[in-house]
Amino acid sequence: MSGPQIFFAEVNERQGAFHRRAFLLGGLAGMGLAALGGRLAFLQIVDTQRYEKLAASNQFNFKLVPPPRGLILDRNGAVLAANRPNFRVLVSRDKDVDVAGALKTLAAFVPMDEARQLRIEREILSAPRRTPVSAVEDLTWDQFSAINVRAPELNGVTADMGEVRVYPDGGAFAHVIGYVAKVNKDDLTDTGPNADPIMLHPGFRIGKQGVEKAFDLELRGRPGAQKVEVDANGREVRHDTEGDIAPIPGKTIQLTLDIDVQNRAMEVFGEESGGAVMIDCRNGDILCMMSAPSFDANRFVRGLQAAEYKALASYERKPLLDKCLSGTYPPGSTFKPMTAIAALEAGIDPNQTIFCGGGVSFGGRYFRCYKHSGHGPQTMHDAIRNSCDVYFYTVASRIGPDRIASVAKTFGLGQIFDIGIPGQKAGIVPSTEWVRTHRKRDPKWHPGESLSYGIGQGMLTVNALQLAVMAARLANGKKALNPRLIRSIGGVERPSGAEAPDLPFAAEHIAYVRGGMAAVTEVGGTGYRASQLGLGDILMAGKTGTAQVYSYKAGMPRGQSGPWRLRDHGLFVCFAPIDQPRYAMAVIVQHGLGGATAAAPRAREIMRTALLKDPEIRARIEQPLPMPPFAPDAEEGAVPDEPTELPADIAGVQAQGAPA
Amino acid sequence: MTASGLTRPGERDRLIVKIGQIDWFFCLTLCLIAGAGGLMLFSIAGSSWEPWAINHVTRFGLCLVLMIALALFDIRVWFALAYPVYAVGLALLVAVEAIGDVRLGAQRWLSLGAFSFQPSEIMKIGIVMALARLYHGAPAHAAKMSWWLLIPAGMILVPVVLVAHQPDLGTAMLIFMTGAAMVVLAGLSWRIIGVLMAAFCVVVPPFIMFGMHDYQRKRVLTFLDPESDPSGSGYHILQSKIALGSGGFLGKGYGLGSQSQLNFLPEKQTDFIFATLAEEFGFVGCMSVLILYAAVIFMALRTAYISHSHFGRLAAAGVTVTFALYVLINGAMVMGLAPVVGVPMPLLSYGGTVMLTVMIGFGLVQSARVHRYKEITSGKGALV
Repeated sequence: MSGPQIFFAEVNERQGAFHRRAFLLGGLAGMGLAALGGRLAFLQIVDTQRYEKLAASNQFNFKLVPPPRGLILDRNGAVLAANRPNFRVLVSRDKDVDVAGALKTLAAFVPMDEARQLRIEREILSAPRRTPVSAVEDLTWDQFSAINVRAPELNGVTADMGEVRVYPDGGAFAHVIGYVAKVNKDDLTDTGPNADPIMLHPGFRIGKQGVEKAFDLELRGRPGAQKVEVDANGREVRHDTEGDIAPIPGKTIQLTLDIDVQNRAMEVFGEESGGAVMIDCRNGDILCMMSAPSFDANRFVRGLQAAEYKALASYERKPLLDKCLSGTYPPGSTFKPMTAIAALEAGIDPNQTIFCGGGVSFGGRYFRCYKHSGHGPQTMHDAIRNSCDVYFYTVASRIGPDRIASVAKTFGLGQIFDIGIPGQKAGIVPSTEWVRTHRKRDPKWHPGESLSYGIGQGMLTVNALQLAVMAARLANGKKALNPRLIRSIGGVERPSGAEAPDLPFAAEHIAYVRGGMAAVTEVGGTGYRASQLGLGDILMAGKTGTAQVYSYKAGMPRGQSGPWRLRDHGLFVCFAPIDQPRYAMAVIVQHGLGGATAAAPRAREIMRTALLKDPEIRARIEQPLPMPPFAPDAEEGAVPDEPTELPADIAGVQAQGAPA
Repeated sequence: MTASGLTRPGERDRLIVKIGQIDWFFCLTLCLIAGAGGLMLFSIAGSSWEPWAINHVTRFGLCLVLMIALALFDIRVWFALAYPVYAVGLALLVAVEAIGDVRLGAQRWLSLGAFSFQPSEIMKIGIVMALARLYHGAPAHAAKMSWWLLIPAGMILVPVVLVAHQPDLGTAMLIFMTGAAMVVLAGLSWRIIGVLMAAFCVVVPPFIMFGMHDYQRKRVLTFLDPESDPSGSGYHILQSKIALGSGGFLGKGYGLGSQSQLNFLPEKQTDFIFATLAEEFGFVGCMSVLILYAAVIFMALRTAYISHSHFGRLAAAGVTVTFALYVLINGAMVMGLAPVVGVPMPLLSYGGTVMLTVMIGFGLVQSARVHRYKEITSGKGALV
C-alpha cells in the first residue's frame, strides 16, 4: 500500500474488475453449455443408430422354445413315443431371489418334503444365474393354476407348460426305442448340433438309448424363439408375439415293428429272460424285437431314483441289457440247418444214412447224442427232424469248420446289420482263420472242435437278430435279406431289406433243409407239440435248440432244481406259413431249459398274433372249408350241367345256411 | 411504477414494491425446469405421481415460496448472517467428522432426532456468503495480490478438506470451484491464477493415483475407458449414453424410454434423470432444457452485474457459479464427458436437499436484485 487511497477509485476498480470477469464467467458458462449441446448433437443425431441398436439389444431377448420332438410310430401308425403336456414350475437364481423361501411356499401347493426341497435348492444354486431350473413337474391343473396365480409375487418362480416324452407301451419297446433324459454335462459339445443353446433349456431332453439316441437329431427339430421384452434384471416384461419364430417339430420316425406282435411277445415271456425277433421274410422288416424282462422307459424320462436304478442294474435277469442285440448265446441245435447246408454244398448225399448209436468216439473223447439210446440210421432229413447229434458230429467232422463258418456267415450269423440302432454284438462264428487270429494261446483248430461246432456248441455264439435273419433267409430261400427296423424318417422311405443279393447256394439245398425243418413240427418231430398254430392249413416250420451253458458233473442238480444261471438256454427258429413263408423268427429263452418246451410255445403264440393280423393270411384261414362234392342226381336234373356254376351255387347255399 | 417513484425515500422498502422487483421471469424459468423434472419423474414411475413426481412438485412449490420470502429479506440481513452461517457450517462439518453417520461408505450425514442432513450443503451457501462479505470489506489491491489472500484461501480450503475427507469429492470440488471462481471474480491477479493452474496440473494426477479412495479412483479410471468394464463401473456411463443416443432427434416418446422404464439406467430418478429426458424427448427436449438452464444462469449473472454493493455482486455470482457447476458437471457426467460423481441436475433431479440449497441460493440472488441499490456500510456490516 502506498500513497493516499481514493475510495471511489477503489470502488470503481473492484466493480470494473468484477464486471469484466463476470462477463468472462458468463462466456465460460455459455461455452460449457454449448459443449454439452454439441455432445448431445453428436450422441443423438450423428451416432444415434449405434445407440438405438444397443438399446434394442438391452430391451429384447429371444427366449428359446424347444421344438416338439418327433413321434415314433409302429408300421401301422400306432404311436410308440409321443409328447404330452407337462405343467411344471421353474425356479431361477438371481440376486434378489430367496430360493429356499420360494420352495417353501411352493411346498404349500405341491407335496415336497424337506429333503427334496434341499436337493432342488442345491440344483438351482449350482445353475447359472437366471437360468430356470425345473423344480416340480407333472402338476395337476389345479396345482398349476394355483401356483400360476401366485407366481408374480414369488420372485424367480415361473409356472409354464412344457412337453414331456411319453411311451404308451413303455416296457415292450424300451430297448428298441430307448428313452430321452435330461441333458447332462457330457452331452454338451463345443461345436456341432450339441453346442446348441437349446440344450440348456430346462424342458429339453436328449435321446439316450435306441432309436431316440440314434436318430436324436432327426427327432429333435429346430427350436423356435419368443421375442420378450426384459428389464435390467432380466425379468420378462412383455411378450411380443409378432416377433416369435415358430419351432420346427422333429421328424416322425416310423418303425417296421408291429405294436401287437411286440406286446404279445412281451406278454408270453412273462418273468422269463430272453429275446424274440420276428422278420418279414419277404422284405426283411423287423416286426418284433423284444427283450425280456424290460423296464418302463417313462421312468427314465422323469429321472430315475438311485435305488430304482440299482434295482434294475443288479437284477440277475438284466432288464437293462438288450438280449436281442447285445446278448450273444450258443445257438445249439438251431444251428444244424447251417451244418446241413454246408454238408449239401460240400457234396454229401443227404439220403446216405449215418447210424446213431447214442454217441460217437472221436479223438479219445465220447461225443454223446442227447438221446442216449440212439436214433438208429438217419438220413439228413431224419437228422434235422430228430435233431440227431451224431449225424451232425459226423458230417461236421467230415467237412471241417471253414465250410460251416462260410455258410453261417452268409446266412447272417456273426454279422452286424445296419438297422439304425447301435448296440449289436457280433458274437463268434469260429473258423481256422478265426482261431489263428483270435485264439493266440491255442491258434490251431482241433478236429474235435468241429464236432461241437456241427451241433452249434463250442465257441460259437450268436445274437437273436442274427438267428432271425438266418431263419428269414432260409425261409426266403433265395435272397440274402437284410433286416430293416426304420421304415421311414419324416415320410422318406428307407431302402427295403429285399434289395439284397441272392444266396450263393443251390436252391434245392435250401429247400431240402426247409423240408427238414417242416418235419420238425410234424408228428414225430422235436417241435411237434409246441408248434401247432391251430390255424388250419397254415403251418409253421422250425428248429428247436437247447444250448448247454454249463458242463454238469454227475450228481449235480440240474433242470428245474438247479441254479437258474446254470440252466440250458432254450432256442427256437421258425417260419410260417410253410408253403408261402411270410414271417420268420427266432426266440431265445435264457436259461429256459429246453428249446421245445420254453422257446417253441412262445414262438408259436407270437407267430399266431402276426399271422392273424395279416389280412391275406386271415382271409386264407377264414376261407370256408370246401363243401364235400355234391353228388348230383342225374335223374332229377336239378343241377345244371355247367360245372363252372358249381362254386357260385355252393356259395349261395352257404349264405342261406345249411342245406336241408 | 416509474423510476421517479422509486427514488422517493422508503419507497423501495415497501413490500409491494419489493415483490414487484423480484425477477418473475426468472421464477417462471425455474418453474419450467422443475415442471420438466416432475414430468419425467411421473414417466419413470410408470405414469404415476407416486413415489417421486408428487414429492418433487410439492417440494418445489414450498421451496419457491421460501425463495420469494428470502428474496424479501434485506440484503443487509444476509450480510449480517454471512459469517454466522459459515461458522455454523464449519462447526457442523467438524461435528460430522466426529459423530456423523456412515451411509453408503461415506460420512456425510448428521442426525438431529428424526431429521438428518448433510452439513456440506450448508457450506455451499455459507462459503458464498462468507467470501462475499470478506471481499466486500477488502480493497482492490488486496484482492488482487497480497498476503491478505491467505484469508479467503483458508476460508475455502478448510471446508473443502473437511468435506473431501468425509469423503464427498463431488461436493468438495463444487465448494472449491465456487470459492475459486469468487476469488477470481473479486479481482485475483492473472499471474497468481496462472501459477496456481500450473501447480494444479502437476498435483492432480498423483492425487488421483494415491490420494483417492478405491471407488473414487475406479470411477475416474473407468471414465477414461468406460468400455473396459461394461457391467461394473462403466455400466452407468454406458447405459446413460445408450439412453441418450437412442433418443435420437425427437425421442422415443413420453413414457416410452426403454432404458429408463426397464431399469437399465441407474439412478434414473436422481443423477441420471437428464438421460431419461434425453431418451424420451430426444435432442429437441434436451436443448430446450439446456436453454432454460442457460437462461437461469444468465439472469442470475445479470443480477450480480447490476448489483450496486460488492457483497450483492459476489454473492449472486457465487450462487450462479454453484448452479452452473451443477448443470455442467451433471450434464458432462450423463453424456460420458466426466466421471460419475454424485452431482444431480438441479431442479430436474429428484432430491430435496439440493433443491433446498439451490432455492435458498436463488433467494439470496433475488434479495440481491430486490435490494440492488441498498448501500452496505463498511466491512462491519451493521444493519442500518
